[in-house]
Amino acid sequence: MESHLAYLDAGSGSLIVQALVAGTAGVVVAAKLYWRRVTSVFRRKTPAEAPVEAPVETPAETQTATPAAATADKD
Amino acid sequence: MTPEHTRPVPEPGSFRDPQTRVFHADGEVLRGLGAQAAQDWKALRDSEFFARTQADKTVTATDEVERELPGEPGTWSATLRHEPLPFVTYPYEWSHTMRQDAAALHLDLLQQALKAGFTMKDGSAYNVQWRGAKPEFIDVGSFEPAKPGEPWAGYRQFCQTLLYPLMLQAHLDLDPRALLRSQIDGVEPAQMRRLLGGTKRLAAGVLKHVHLHDSIQSRNADRSTGAVREQLRDAGFNSELVAAAVRAMAKLVAKLEWAPPATHWGDYRETCSYSDDDRAAKQQFVDAALDAARNRELVLDLGANDGVFSRQAAAKAGYVVAVEADPAVVDTLYRQLRAEGEKRILPIVMDLADPSPGGGWAGHERAGFAQRAAKADVTLALALVHHLAIGRNVPLPAIVDWLAGMGRTVVVEFVHAEDPMARKLLANKPDGLFPDYHVETFVRLLGERFDIAKRETLPGGTRTMIAGVRRD
Repeated sequence: MESHLAYLDAGSGSLIVQALVAGTAGVVVAAKLYWRRVTSVFRRKTPAEAPVEAPVETPAETQTATPAAATADKD
Repeated sequence: MTPEHTRPVPEPGSFRDPQTRVFHADGEVLRGLGAQAAQDWKALRDSEFFARTQADKTVTATDEVERELPGEPGTWSATLRHEPLPFVTYPYEWSHTMRQDAAALHLDLLQQALKAGFTMKDGSAYNVQWRGAKPEFIDVGSFEPAKPGEPWAGYRQFCQTLLYPLMLQAHLDLDPRALLRSQIDGVEPAQMRRLLGGTKRLAAGVLKHVHLHDSIQSRNADRSTGAVREQLRDAGFNSELVAAAVRAMAKLVAKLEWAPPATHWGDYRETCSYSDDDRAAKQQFVDAALDAARNRELVLDLGANDGVFSRQAAAKAGYVVAVEADPAVVDTLYRQLRAEGEKRILPIVMDLADPSPGGGWAGHERAGFAQRAAKADVTLALALVHHLAIGRNVPLPAIVDWLAGMGRTVVVEFVHAEDPMARKLLANKPDGLFPDYHVETFVRLLGERFDIAKRETLPGGTRTMIAGVRRD
């Protein structure tokens, strides 16, 4: 896939704020992003979603869950 | 082997984007483009959008040239040439309305770019320069074809260098120049949050762009921008949302007005001690000195006040920079010049006893005022010396040395200690503190560095005009 990284660090939080600035449709997108983060722990993890929000439980077929992923939560 | 042109020198303020770099050579401004940037440029060059920005001069006039640029073979795939600027200034030298117009231009170009399928890599106030009272976007290397669902990478930079400074002035009446001058990347969301608490949270744009921005930023600090971009895309972020966000910011910028407080300079000309005869004689003296100057491409009017002598000089000179310490006075002058469509008088805010130092990487990413002022042909220092010598205790020999670092031709209006304006300043200092403050002393000191071409005391008897030509 094409790299999306520009020379400038856009700030990961700043990118989300941009959605909120865009009005109602943007707020929906941001809400969806946060909802997906919360529910991502019940789905198969993708690299994009790491670090996980809260490792509630590890799925049954757990050959992908590594100790690093399970301890990635800092909160 | 003899090159047709001298070896281009890299511009110290242009290293952040490795894909493009600006060089100076023989008075030309050149820009090297790496392979990717050259490809982006070709798309931009052929677009109707870019043609429009060239026609209305909102983006610096640019063409493609054949030149050797420094660097390993293959570093540069194309070379652009930009129309040079008569004088470079920085956001900490602009008045509020100038910053507002710079922000509006940046967003307007982004909106047009988005419609044409392009975006901007960044959002910096330093992308904007001035030709007189008209802002101009100089960073042609910033445009690139937009990728679907991609947010604007420059949003944070735009906040820090343009939007936040506007908010500080509009919401708090706090001049942002000190922060901009000391922090090259602008004001941080966390700093803004501390300044805009309480009911100020409700002021235009503050909740979203400052408070939410800061908390979302700290909560996402350990996520990469690549990961967040992917999450945004998965959640349905699209180009319409980028356009909507930019529209909302443009509306906000227009709302961030500032009403300057009435200052004593506002009515300076009414209350100052000039008679009509004085004024006429002073104008004639300045005109004659400008006529006699060998070069008058770039004139500095130091302590320009309402700009009346900048205007007079502009009738004879190529370009005039009107330097004035009071931001309210500069803002008023800028608005007037903008309404007149003036492109040869640039007003800037600067305390001449504390001029802009060099800034950024190694202290020369942004050039100090002294370095930029050295290119001037003529310096006007009209009713300025008493402010520096009496108001700020700068010794007269130091003032003369400083003047010698600028225009070859200097025109000084020396205000005698007996003049009401000088007396006002002296009233705040102990008696006898400035025994050397005398026109004869000043003329003698000036004569050590300059040939005194002309000297004339104005009819009122308390001000002396002196024209000098530096002995080079």
